[in-house]
Amino acid sequence: MAPKPITSPVPVEWYPSLSVLMLSIGLVLTASFFIYEATSSKRSRSLAKEITIGAVSSFFLGFGSLFLLLATGVYV
Amino acid sequence: MASMSLRFAFVLFWISILSSTVLSDLVISKIDRRIDLTSQIVRVVSSLKVENRGRDTASEVLLAFPDIQAKNLAYLQSSHHEGKGKGKQSAVSLPVTLVQPEGMPSDLTFYSTSLPKGLEKGESFTLDVLAVFTHSLKPFPEEITQADVQLVVYQDSAYYISPYEVRFQTLAVRLPSGRVESYTKYPSTKLVESDIKYGPFENLPPFSYIPIAVHFESSYPFAVVQELERELEISHWGNIQVTEHYSLVHGGAPLKGGFSRIEYQSRPPIRGESSIRHFIAMLPPRAHSVYYRDEIGNISTSHLWSDSKMTYLQIEPRYPMFGGWRTSFTIGYGLPLRDLLYEADGKRFLNITFGCPINEIVIDHLIVKVVLPEGSKEISAAVPFVTKQSQEVKYSHLDIVGRPVIVLEKTNVVPEHNIHFQVYYKFNNLALLMEPFLLISGFFFLFIACIVYMHTDASISKFSASYLAKQQLDEVRATVQQVLSIINRVLAVHNKLETSLRDLSRTGDVQSCKAARKAADGSFKDLAKELKPLLGYLQSSPQASQIWPKVEELLSKEKELQEKLMGKHSAIVDGFEKKSARREVENRVASIDQKLAILRQEADELLDALDDF
Repeated sequence: MAPKPITSPVPVEWYPSLSVLMLSIGLVLTASFFIYEATSSKRSRSLAKEITIGAVSSFFLGFGSLFLLLATGVYV
Repeated sequence: MASMSLRFAFVLFWISILSSTVLSDLVISKIDRRIDLTSQIVRVVSSLKVENRGRDTASEVLLAFPDIQAKNLAYLQSSHHEGKGKGKQSAVSLPVTLVQPEGMPSDLTFYSTSLPKGLEKGESFTLDVLAVFTHSLKPFPEEITQADVQLVVYQDSAYYISPYEVRFQTLAVRLPSGRVESYTKYPSTKLVESDIKYGPFENLPPFSYIPIAVHFESSYPFAVVQELERELEISHWGNIQVTEHYSLVHGGAPLKGGFSRIEYQSRPPIRGESSIRHFIAMLPPRAHSVYYRDEIGNISTSHLWSDSKMTYLQIEPRYPMFGGWRTSFTIGYGLPLRDLLYEADGKRFLNITFGCPINEIVIDHLIVKVVLPEGSKEISAAVPFVTKQSQEVKYSHLDIVGRPVIVLEKTNVVPEHNIHFQVYYKFNNLALLMEPFLLISGFFFLFIACIVYMHTDASISKFSASYLAKQQLDEVRATVQQVLSIINRVLAVHNKLETSLRDLSRTGDVQSCKAARKAADGSFKDLAKELKPLLGYLQSSPQASQIWPKVEELLSKEKELQEKLMGKHSAIVDGFEKKSARREVENRVASIDQKLAILRQEADELLDALDDF
């Protein structure tokens, strides 16, 4: 079997745009999380909703910041 | 005649060296040696023709070096060319091992070359041996001023030192220029341009030796890296980061007296000829993010250009390097993953050159560290020469257990060592997700911390008046929000009824309209039931005294709205069923619609006001 070159799972050229896209989604969700925290009262707040928004936005922020690191040349 | 008497004189010399009988029956029938002294690295190329005069089959040839030379021996390669003359192309490399044969002179080091097949009686075999030596040119005078040229001495034997009888031999010494201070002269020694030729010498017994010394001018910069640490960090996200730390010294004749930059710059070709102005590093193609800095982070002059085969980096130290001067600097660059990393038989391997990218440089101590991604297993390195191997762990960005590092160490490295080596390892692609997982959990922890902060009650006095009042206010607020959401649902049901009326006027389906009415009645009842306890609470709570009138007003408006809407609905449905005049129905409905619109607006305003509470 001839050796096969290994490439990155995502093309390197996509990193900057992926980072902008995912970070903006993540930041919008984070904003909505904090708006929800600030506007809802202690009794009307739903824990499941808080955790769901938190989890989804941390997913986007996590991948967004990873791609940001990769795009700036910090290859983790 | 003269050469005969000279040879006789040396008989005594080699007899004294020859301590025991020579075991092998091999004879070197012809040897041509070429010593290349053009750079700081001494390369000796010998092509030997070995003949078997004995009865037994010979399978190895011994190569002898004096201990003084052997300690500077950096690279030894023995090869055999298939075919003869100009047709010889395919060179077969032969294995070379260090041996200690018995009964040989103690101040010689022996290497054994295995022949591809045994040499039968009377057969001959041609062998090419390349020996590379470092630190073999000694500056003489030992110190020079800036204006002086650098002179060096090279010492060797004019005869090929061998445990075998040598029938015919020649030696050629190639110098960088024709400017020779002195050289040992024997009969039949010639200086032609920049080449000194010794020989031919004929029929010399084993271990024959006559010293020669060549004293010549060499302005070649003697760049010696005392220690080079190369770190190759593999990231499966698409990059191999190479970082090289050099600690470099000019190994030529040390500078005597002061250094004058005016003199250096006014007549650069003459003054300080042996100094180093710049280095050119030849990096692999497609190298990117190249940087060059010195120890404390100063960025000095550098130039970068590239073609399809190489990327050239020219770097200038902050000062010209004279003999004995030191500098240390760091260069770094990134390489695309697909050029160097491959997968075969379930294993991944890195295929990259071993030595340093700067040309004609001697490295005293080279450390190559290959940093593999976190989660690599079954690591092994395949290097085509002997190196000291060890493993360690490095902590870098976003690591949990650290990255495995394989460390390869070698002393006395010359450009000949700049060949590919491989590091094999196993890696699961899922381990790539470790880093994003770490980031995600970091952010998630932040959100959880916020949630916990918002949910905990951090007040100390849980029974003080202000605390209780705040608690009640919170409760009132929550109740008002609930009331508002119920009212909104009621208004949504209103909208549904209106839609059913519109559908009726379009399709004339009275039954579905009646069904909608029934469903609306049901939901109104349910919502009223839900509303009741909340209103009870609001009415009784002292904290809600301010808001209560508004809520009451909203409820009354809603009730009125509901009544009017029901009236409208009944009127239209009745009109349809009795088939009364359209105009009459429309007249009745128009007045109701007006009132409905006003009520709706009022209700909306109240909702907004309460929402801000």
